Amino acid sequence: MLHLLTEFILAMFATAGFSLIFRVPIRHIPACVIIGACGWVTYEISMYYYSSPAMGCFLGACVVGILSTVAAHHLKDAATIFVIPGILCLVPGSGIFNTMLSMLQDDFTAAAEVGMQTLVMAGAIAIGLMITGAVLRVFYALVRKTVTLWDKF
Amino acid sequence: MLKSGAEIYRVEETITRICKACRIDNVEVFAMPTGIFVTLDNDSEKDSVSTYISRIRSGETDLNKISLVNQFSRDFTTTDLSVEAGLDRLHEIDRQKPYQFMVRLIGAAVVAACFSVMFGGNSMDFLCAFLIGLLCYTFSRFLSKFGINFFIRGMCSTALAAFIALIIAASLPDAAYQPIISGVIMLFVPGVAITNSIRDFLSGDMLAGLIRLVEAVLTAVSLAAGAGLILKLWGMIGGITF
Repeated sequence: MLHLLTEFILAMFATAGFSLIFRVPIRHIPACVIIGACGWVTYEISMYYYSSPAMGCFLGACVVGILSTVAAHHLKDAATIFVIPGILCLVPGSGIFNTMLSMLQDDFTAAAEVGMQTLVMAGAIAIGLMITGAVLRVFYALVRKTVTLWDKF
Repeated sequence: MLKSGAEIYRVEETITRICKACRIDNVEVFAMPTGIFVTLDNDSEKDSVSTYISRIRSGETDLNKISLVNQFSRDFTTTDLSVEAGLDRLHEIDRQKPYQFMVRLIGAAVVAACFSVMFGGNSMDFLCAFLIGLLCYTFSRFLSKFGINFFIRGMCSTALAAFIALIIAASLPDAAYQPIISGVIMLFVPGVAITNSIRDFLSGDMLAGLIRLVEAVLTAVSLAAGAGLILKLWGMIGGITF
């Protein structure tokens, strides 16, 4: 639990750093920070239970996707602004490093394994984002329709 | 907008929306990460078809600009802002400078430091990664001032990171080089390109997606090559055996 808390705080700072580099408008930084940290903690939790990085990335990306779409809807801005800093924590940077490391050791089987893992993680992030994006778009469209229907009656 | 890291469909939609607001009947937009083509056609006049092509050089991600243009297009279509006033506002958005270099530098250092701990480093690694993050980000900016392309830039930055990390790891017993290097690599990882490329693919802009995917892969390869080169050389002079 304590471990998760420290991870949460670290991820918050990391996302804040990315927000500064990518120049997120100041009023959106708090939202971005929370989104990024939630995504990373989701990843950590699912790693603990399933120990599958791809699944972790998928769930983390789902959380980031949902939260960003909701934030974009309520703060009236493009979802990209929340998605990009949020997703960067999940991007498999250590995967790239480890692939390269095994290649240096002339261990190409391990390199292929870790490289494939990295690719799958990147794919999982993308799929997670897409699914949540699509589902939420339908959801908001339905909400709008119900609201207009409601107004008619 | 494309330069700042927006998706293709957002750019096309914005242009179409703005043109519709100017009462232009037929608008066709074709956007790619390397250029935009716009054709305007007014039904009321004859021979009034005009086409614009704009070449786009890749730039830095700037989410604030996307946000501002997004707001602008919303305002422009809902209120009757004149074209001149609109253009003025767009120029103003274009002139906006990114955050001060110092602020971004600190952001970069914090990113590197936090990730080194998240990848299993200790407090010593945190400190080292913070310093190396500062150095490497400055170095990368320095190289980009000279117009050096992104591949060499990524390679040199991570090579520098790996070199300093190895020296530190060799001289300080507490520090390990793996978390430090991974942390600094996270700074340069092409997260924006990957996310945008997948989104472009799935919204049907295959060409744009492909362009960005290649960009992402090349960047990743450059990062790995830079760090790998130094690690291999270090091993050859007998620093560490992997």
